Amino acid sequence: MLEIRWHSRAGQGAVTGAKGLADVISTTGKHVQAFAFYGSAKRGAAMTAYNRVDDKVVMNHEKYMEPDFVFVIDPALVYTSDVTINAKEKTIYIITTHMSTQELVASQPKLEGKEVYTVDCIKIAQETIGKAIPNTPMLGAFMKISGMYDIEFFKDSMKRILRKLPQKIIDANMLAIQRAFDEVK
Amino acid sequence: MAFDKMELQKIEVWDGNFAAAQALRQCQIDVVAAYPITPSTPIVEGYAKFLSDNYIEGEFVMVESEHAAMSGCVGAAAAGGRVATATSSQGFALMVEVLYQASGMRLPIVLNVVNRALAAPLNVNGDHSDMYLGRDSGWIQLDAFAPQEAYDLNFIAFKVAEDHDIRLPAMVHQDGFMTSHTAQGVYTLTDDEAYGFVGEYKPMNDMLDFEHPVTHGVQTEEDWHFEHKARQHNDLMTKVFPKIQAAFDAFEKLSGRKYNIVEKYDMNDADVCVVCMGTSVETAREVATEMREKGIKAGVVGLRVIRPFPFFEIAEALKDVKAIAALDRSSPNGAPGMLFNEIAGALFNTDKRALLSGYVYGLGGRDLTKAHLVSLYTELQANVDAGKVTTQLQQFIGVRGPKLAFL
Amino acid sequence: MMKKGWDEFEIGAMLRTFDGKIDDIAGTLQEDRAYSENSSFVASVADWRINKPIFNKDFCIDCQFCWVYCPDISIISRDKKMIGIDMDHCKGCGICVEVCPTNPKSLLMFPEKSDEETELATWPAKNKETK
Repeated sequence: MLEIRWHSRAGQGAVTGAKGLADVISTTGKHVQAFAFYGSAKRGAAMTAYNRVDDKVVMNHEKYMEPDFVFVIDPALVYTSDVTINAKEKTIYIITTHMSTQELVASQPKLEGKEVYTVDCIKIAQETIGKAIPNTPMLGAFMKISGMYDIEFFKDSMKRILRKLPQKIIDANMLAIQRAFDEVK
Repeated sequence: MAFDKMELQKIEVWDGNFAAAQALRQCQIDVVAAYPITPSTPIVEGYAKFLSDNYIEGEFVMVESEHAAMSGCVGAAAAGGRVATATSSQGFALMVEVLYQASGMRLPIVLNVVNRALAAPLNVNGDHSDMYLGRDSGWIQLDAFAPQEAYDLNFIAFKVAEDHDIRLPAMVHQDGFMTSHTAQGVYTLTDDEAYGFVGEYKPMNDMLDFEHPVTHGVQTEEDWHFEHKARQHNDLMTKVFPKIQAAFDAFEKLSGRKYNIVEKYDMNDADVCVVCMGTSVETAREVATEMREKGIKAGVVGLRVIRPFPFFEIAEALKDVKAIAALDRSSPNGAPGMLFNEIAGALFNTDKRALLSGYVYGLGGRDLTKAHLVSLYTELQANVDAGKVTTQLQQFIGVRGPKLAFL
Repeated sequence: MMKKGWDEFEIGAMLRTFDGKIDDIAGTLQEDRAYSENSSFVASVADWRINKPIFNKDFCIDCQFCWVYCPDISIISRDKKMIGIDMDHCKGCGICVEVCPTNPKSLLMFPEKSDEETELATWPAKNKETK
């Protein structure tokens, strides 16, 4: 069982990202689950989304999770919410920030001693897609850190998932995924 | 036909809402009259999108309330169309008056109910309060535990409801958010397979048959009302289960997926079991398997059909078990829970009566964790070991504050 | 808000705006009111912002458009004079900038981490009419 928790704001696309990731993984024969906590469901409010991946059908519907990976796609959430909650010793963090990993860990002592990677998904999204929608770049970074799939296979899969969007947006997303893949540290 | 077919992958990653919307598309619903409410909105949104994209020949009627939505469905169904809609919570509550009209008029409408708590306090998350509110309304109630089942049970619902021997409306329930907004792999039917299964809609006494004019929704006073209600109850008690079973059998033949009126998991040699509905059934199955590794023979009984209530099937499922927990995800507000009462009733006149205790859990979407279920099974085993219920008969799981126990 | 047990709060779906009695609410400015921790006034949504508005009083004509249109009542106006922005409740939606009629605008959006004094010092010049 692989479990992922996303920290996001409503409107940043964490749910779409989690579902997109589930969709890609599902095509490889694994069983998936993607869900979210919505809370007050107001655009901008902090929220969490979740992925479960397993070799057999995922029957666990509890919302409680001890994640293997934590994705933070909004830079402020590292400070305003506890991104380390219910984490395991070996939980891996991929965090959106304009800072370096060292600067980030220094600014949030809770991350000290943890396996933390950083990438500026907001900046990448703004420069490629033209909007602060940091979900697809986070998935690019995840592919790099986890080595789950070959990046070209992943981008091809994402093209299929995004196929209903205008070609310009699809291309921008591919660029965003690749940049995050290359830039995550 | 004038509309387009959709190519689906063998497995699509869909949440429960989209799975239900796809089922409505494949059933080619003639009329959806709907009013949006969280968390069910994406179902009727999905239908409207398919309609505007020419995947359906039908009519989407936007109305001013859920009361009007169900009224529109009643009118369209009486006129002779295949009709469906979706709602949740407060919207369901507002529909209740018309639910009784629909079932009393014997109109085979399918209502997707995405289960959600009832205010106050206002809460958009999933529990079974609305589902319980509908249980005396004369509808068939089917319960999905996961997105796959929300998809499949819509086909079953149309197949059973529209049968001319039945002619009763049916609800397909799924847990708000936990199913409706949870994406999982869903094995799909092709458009032709799905439509072939439910078949072309055959109207009955429809108002648009101008050669045989009829009046629907007549008034009956003391002279006729009771007989109408008695006939409806008779049909629910005697005719619905055989049709549901036949539909399950036909569906298994088509899809390979087997459904049962009462879903038993590891019940053959179980000492302890929980009886519950919705997503909790699946979580409990996972925990039951883990309990067996710890030496506790645990099983799970899930209700696939809530109304009509599977009185004999539930007694049969529970006949050899030693301790039972009835899990109700709705506040009984001054009584034992519905499942506790129904199970007690089903077992009371049998020889083997297990130790039965009731639990209220998960209100307003409160998480039912695997840890909760582990302690629940452990408590049931303690009851078995002691030969009696060691706790009070009604307890609350997962609520903050001093422990609550009654009866 | 502390998560209380079922027996620890007052009955009803009700929260008190003030802990005790309050006199003359209408005559007391918001910032001078002793809101309880349950009032949404004490909850900051500042961290929702990606971009923030900066107010340049040199060009403001006190037309009050921003005050009227702000969906979060985050434009602080006293005696019909615009005096600033309530940065605890502004979510950075940019509507105030959209409706500002002056040339150049008296409110502009900048990235959250930008420095107010720097931006004010380099405020854009008046746009030539292009009709």
